[in-house]
Amino acid sequence: MKGLEIKNLTKVYETGFIIKRYIKAVNNVSFRINPGEIVSLVGESGSGKTTIAKIILRLLNPTSGNILVDGIDIWAKENQNPKFAKEFGKKVHAVFQDPFASYNPFYPIERTLWQALELLGIDKKDPRAKDLMYEALENVGLKPDVVFGKYPHQLSGGEKQRVMIARCWLLKPSLIIADEPVSMIDASSRGGVIKLFEKLKEEQKASILFITHDMGLAYYISDRVLIMHKGDIVEEGNPEEIVANPQHWYTKNLISSIPTLYRKLEDIS
Amino acid sequence: MSGKKLVEIKNVKVYYIIDGLQVKAVDDVSFDIFDGEVLGVVGESGCGKTTLSNVLLMSIKKPLNFIDGSVTLNTQNEPLHLQKLRRDQLKRDVWGKEIVIIPQAAMNALMPTMKIKDFIYDVVSPHFKNITKDEVIKMAKERFEEIGIDKEAVNRYPFELSGGMKQRAVIATATLLNPKLLIADEPTSALDVATQKMVLKTLNELMNKKIVKSIVFITHDIATVRQIATRMMIMYAGKIAEISPIDDVLREPLHPYTEGLLLSVVTPEPEIRKRGIYTIPGSPPSLINPPVGCRFYPRCKYRMDICEVEEPKLEELKPNRFVACHYARGRV
Amino acid sequence: MLKTMLKPLFRSKKFLIGFIIFIVIASLGIFGPMFYRVDPTEMAGMFESPPSSENLLGTDTYGRDVLAQLLNGIRSSLYIGIVAALTSLIIGSLVGVIAAVKGGLMDDILMGFTNIVLTTPSILVAILIASYLKARSVTLVALILGLFQWPWFARAIRAQLMSLINREYVYLSKLAGYSDLRLAFEDLVPGIATYTFMSFILFINGGIMGEAGLSLIGLGPTKGISLGIMLQWAVLMEAVRRGLWWWFVPPGAAIVAITSSLLIISTAMDEVFNPRLRER
Repeated sequence: MKGLEIKNLTKVYETGFIIKRYIKAVNNVSFRINPGEIVSLVGESGSGKTTIAKIILRLLNPTSGNILVDGIDIWAKENQNPKFAKEFGKKVHAVFQDPFASYNPFYPIERTLWQALELLGIDKKDPRAKDLMYEALENVGLKPDVVFGKYPHQLSGGEKQRVMIARCWLLKPSLIIADEPVSMIDASSRGGVIKLFEKLKEEQKASILFITHDMGLAYYISDRVLIMHKGDIVEEGNPEEIVANPQHWYTKNLISSIPTLYRKLEDIS
Repeated sequence: MSGKKLVEIKNVKVYYIIDGLQVKAVDDVSFDIFDGEVLGVVGESGCGKTTLSNVLLMSIKKPLNFIDGSVTLNTQNEPLHLQKLRRDQLKRDVWGKEIVIIPQAAMNALMPTMKIKDFIYDVVSPHFKNITKDEVIKMAKERFEEIGIDKEAVNRYPFELSGGMKQRAVIATATLLNPKLLIADEPTSALDVATQKMVLKTLNELMNKKIVKSIVFITHDIATVRQIATRMMIMYAGKIAEISPIDDVLREPLHPYTEGLLLSVVTPEPEIRKRGIYTIPGSPPSLINPPVGCRFYPRCKYRMDICEVEEPKLEELKPNRFVACHYARGRV
Repeated sequence: MLKTMLKPLFRSKKFLIGFIIFIVIASLGIFGPMFYRVDPTEMAGMFESPPSSENLLGTDTYGRDVLAQLLNGIRSSLYIGIVAALTSLIIGSLVGVIAAVKGGLMDDILMGFTNIVLTTPSILVAILIASYLKARSVTLVALILGLFQWPWFARAIRAQLMSLINREYVYLSKLAGYSDLRLAFEDLVPGIATYTFMSFILFINGGIMGEAGLSLIGLGPTKGISLGIMLQWAVLMEAVRRGLWWWFVPPGAAIVAITSSLLIISTAMDEVFNPRLRER
């Protein structure tokens, strides 16, 4: 079974030394993403959406529940080893919110691509390596000469996110987790990056989990939208339906508060 | 535009000077703020919009340098030339009384160990000779009620209030002395949409109740500014690209940059899905060595030969619509 | 990579000044005894004679050559500083790294221990240990000093690592299948390297000052010579009251020069690598 499947995922954070306190960040969440589908997870900060992303990326262990990527349980006991980690790296890729923190300032930009090549078993000195990297960069609309040998501070936020997506073109992962990938990019450069995700979906048939607080973006890009509130998924459906006819009180409140361009919000004056 | 000019800004140049390099953050900018309007200032990061808020307050600190121009405040009997005043004069006569600013993280101004009413007393009392705490609190409660905030909030500590409540309490406190002009610098961008809406409502309330005469609303988010502004000013690379009434801008943007910005907005509306998202190619120019001609020239899809060599002036192309663009001038 | 880091450093005037002073003093200590072959513990002239062509910096009460003492003293003071600094650095990094990486109970225990050491009046404990030991070599004194300097470094390293570990680029390297060791060396070490180096410099300072302090109250090394011991003898023999300036000025000046040059170096580095501190 291709794609991502999440079954009854719960994450409880534990704090305190002697007197323990428990915070339920994700509460019994289940959903799936099919190949070639973009699903958005929409919620405000603290709703648990980034916790879900980290658990899917094996950066944070779940309290209970199963996560299956292409039918394989990524948190199963037998999969907690370096060999699986490498296999997993080829299958799943992430684009994070902050393009500045996504690059180690001590290394040139192309390190991101070397890492991908290494996962594929290609040495960075291999003659094929250069062709592959060039092809990947062209796929995301960057001129290779502009990127090679540059350090992170020399590229703009939009360019850095594009290089991140170029890594997806090298790895051809079956699942991409995009955690607020455009929220730190200027509006005028956003569209280009958004289109790259659509292209990945079309051409690589990847499953994409698009995490955002911006209902507008989710509405534009997704095939399906999940609305998250305080650890629960409160509503799920296709974006037009959710926007036109929200059911849950939280969604209703959210939709009616979003500033729109063509209509003015009625009840603020 | 009819009405009294509250503030007149003429040919203002404000540069950052760092290691001998001039960064032209605000370069030869002229515009007026009218009585009774909400002016939305829109632009992307690094376009000079936040520096502009410093200009309006004349709060210029190194490495920022006021090079040239004038900022005139017309709220008193005689025009007040802010650029000629010293810092202590500005502090005494202008800030808080005439012009007040709400920065992005305004709610962080609240002291966590102080009740809201103590905070209000601390902020307000230096502006009066003799005023008791009870008078201040009574004043604050009345004002809170007037603009639709729960007046019992003054008896609470900041941690007992939600983010939106704190932000609104700070706005109410800042405007307690009825300043003529309120500058709001990205007051909603760190908030979630429901809270954002409440803050917008509070700002509207301040205008409706005539507590402030005008608001300058600085933001990168056109959809937000559209909810509240009457006029919109679009800045690009330290210059004004366009100033027009908001409905005109949305219906028919004249400057190519305005057009690009509008087309890159995504909101959950069916129109957006039909239209798609546009991306302006390239990135903003360096403000150390800006292009000689139009600063938008390298990214513009309508560029002409003249744009590369001659800088377009801000001209009134249609009634009340000021645009700095050779292409737009030729078309109108 | 190293080049891009060093370039701005050598452009800073402050750093250059500190660096040159330090190099001059350090080479006096390192090479001086090789060329000036006078035994600092043997009688080499008249008692308490002022500087002359025979004894360039004069002699002390026992007729020992002050210049020879100074050169050897600088050498052993630097040695003490570096050994003390290495000790602190090793303990501090181990505690900080383990606390940050393991987290949970381990973190609580290690940080609890660190806080205990941090609040212990270190010089008092050092005095206790030193006075308990009848024979103290230079290395032993350095180790004692090193045992009490590390807590703040451990805390800082822990804090820095905790913030680095949650950077997105570390996540991406993890996704690329990096082993923990490789992750640590490629992504974490560069991030804390400059801070560690600056701390190392301050630790050297701490070691040199600590030794001088212990020696001055008679609890320094019992064998060999150091700047602190020179000062101790000068104080014991009331050199200041009797105007024997050649005896106490050189070691005092050497201590001030070493420690202040190191301080200048570390603040200059801080300014270069942490642009927020640059003069506005």
